[in-house]
Amino acid sequence: MKTVIVYKWARNPEDAAVRADGTVDWRNARMTAGEDDFAALEAARAIAPEGELIGLTIGDGDASWALARGVLQAVAVTDAAPLADNAATAAIIAAAIRRIGGVDAVVIGDSEEYSGVPVALAGLLGWPAVAHATSAEAAGGRIRVVRKQGRNDQTISLATPAVISIAAASPEKKVPGMKELLAARKRPITRQTLADIDAAGPDGVTTKGTRLPDGAAARLFDGDPANAARQLVAALRDEGVL
Amino acid sequence: MIEKETDDVDADVIVVGGGVAGALCACQIARSGRQVILIERGGQPGSKNLSGGVFYCRVMERIFPDFLEAAPIERHITRNVLCFLNPSSHFCIDSWDRRLADPVNAVTVLRARLDAWLLEKCEEAGVMVMPGVRVDALLTAGDRVTGVRAGTDELRARMVVAADGVNSFIARSAGIRAREPAKNLAVGVKSVIGLPAAVIEDRFRVSGNEGVAYAMVGDCTQGVAGGGFLYTNRESISVGVVMRLDDLDAKGVSSSRIHDHFLAHPAVAPLIKGGELREYGAHLTIENGPAMASHDIARPGLLIVGDAAGFTLNTGLAVRGMDLAAGSALAAARAIDRAFERTDFGQRMADDYRAELDASFVGADMKTYARAPEFLENPRMYEDYGPLLADIFLDILRLDTTPKSRAAAIAAAAFRRSPVTLFQAATDMLKGGRAL
Repeated sequence: MKTVIVYKWARNPEDAAVRADGTVDWRNARMTAGEDDFAALEAARAIAPEGELIGLTIGDGDASWALARGVLQAVAVTDAAPLADNAATAAIIAAAIRRIGGVDAVVIGDSEEYSGVPVALAGLLGWPAVAHATSAEAAGGRIRVVRKQGRNDQTISLATPAVISIAAASPEKKVPGMKELLAARKRPITRQTLADIDAAGPDGVTTKGTRLPDGAAARLFDGDPANAARQLVAALRDEGVL
Repeated sequence: MIEKETDDVDADVIVVGGGVAGALCACQIARSGRQVILIERGGQPGSKNLSGGVFYCRVMERIFPDFLEAAPIERHITRNVLCFLNPSSHFCIDSWDRRLADPVNAVTVLRARLDAWLLEKCEEAGVMVMPGVRVDALLTAGDRVTGVRAGTDELRARMVVAADGVNSFIARSAGIRAREPAKNLAVGVKSVIGLPAAVIEDRFRVSGNEGVAYAMVGDCTQGVAGGGFLYTNRESISVGVVMRLDDLDAKGVSSSRIHDHFLAHPAVAPLIKGGELREYGAHLTIENGPAMASHDIARPGLLIVGDAAGFTLNTGLAVRGMDLAAGSALAAARAIDRAFERTDFGQRMADDYRAELDASFVGADMKTYARAPEFLENPRMYEDYGPLLADIFLDILRLDTTPKSRAAAIAAAAFRRSPVTLFQAATDMLKGGRAL
């Protein structure tokens, strides 16, 4: 079952700084592996044997992430910029998947910050999607997907082609060692541009401005502990807490 | 026997550490057609590196002829200011010279950008860059280093280069160095403050891509042996303090508070006013490079370069690390090249490396400034000379309708009030002239 694992397709919001005037500074942040990418890769490996698994990443991140984790080949759309528009990001990924061709399953991390991307991707491909899944595996030419429904596990049998988005239940247990990193460097990465895959990639979202949220100011009671404690108690009384 | 050993190597050379020394050494070795693996502990290049000085960059032109145009350089330093800082006064020597821009003598850099660029250059040269891996130990066969271990993973090479910084766990685990005495080390605390380029140019009277670097002693460290620094980047200012570890410990003060005190000092605060804090960090650095570098810097199958070998110099006026890192990397790469030609990575390679260093500016300058740390240990530098100089100039400049004395008499009176005697000052000047 020809399966694409999509990884390193967004920037980590923790790499951005919000300035005092409310503007956001990304400080040359690169595309990074999302916290669900590892779980998505686990699921992809359970769906497809090594030879049928292809890594796909967009942007300027290091494409060897998946190659160091057992994927034998990867495609990188190197000039894809990080976009605010989830649908535009999905359009780039969809174009890359069409270019790969003959894909049965696409597995992608269920990012909290960019939650629109997996479903928009399925919509653009015209394939069914199962989101918020915890695991997936191949079963008799179909894909068996498990997702949480309240306290229960729901198991879905899915015909291909399909898009599955996986939410990680725990962090990655074993990061690749030096041997795996070394092997990754020898595996092929097919580098493509947006023009190669026929993706225009316009950002449908225009940011007109950003501002800091209205937050309560923090107060610091410093100095002599007894005095600081008195001030804290007085402040709590003033606020009506005590 | 050598053939047998080399059959199962993963690379010709493993370089540990992706700072200036490690990256340049790896790049040069790869350019000679050898297989090089560069292992860096930080997940992102430069993420574990912090420099508190300008980069005296002439050496880089030997490695990258287009360094000044292609590398992510912030500003070319043409103005240098040396200040004795007191609580409410300072005495500064301010030198601006455009000749420092042609050829470009020193530049400011942001390490996250520079190191990323250097590692890109490494990859272009064919180096296999491996970030996010911490080397735990060296592999040895007899007395010879044969590779590295990280966790349960082992990689073997014909030789290893240790470029793992001031704390060099590799040099220590190889038994080359004991734990460095605190008096040879210092801690630096630095902020990077963002400001628009136009504000920086107005505030520091520089134009275009020119910049300024300040070196300060005295109240910046509240009397702790060390100093303050400030230099301009393109759209930010790097500012902070460096303090000798043993003196900081003896005086029982907090390094971060001294940093905050320095940034709030009335002579410093206006320079960074209105700026936005971009980065804040602390890092161990070398106070007495000549003492550290006097250890062995090689073992069979192992060479040590850059900070790991102790190649840092503080001459009072110029704090140098990156240029010496680059120089030692070049020397090591040349020694390694010959070692491969001879297939001999033992004592001859170590001797070659030492000879290359001695023949270069690195070895020469380490000798020239060997007595600088001892001179800079003098507490009068941090406590007494600043107030003395300020007092002399105050009395010359202050006119209060009483008759003035001549400058010589004013200076004599200032010496009488100061704990410093004229004899001590003359001796210090002489010693300084010899040590620096």
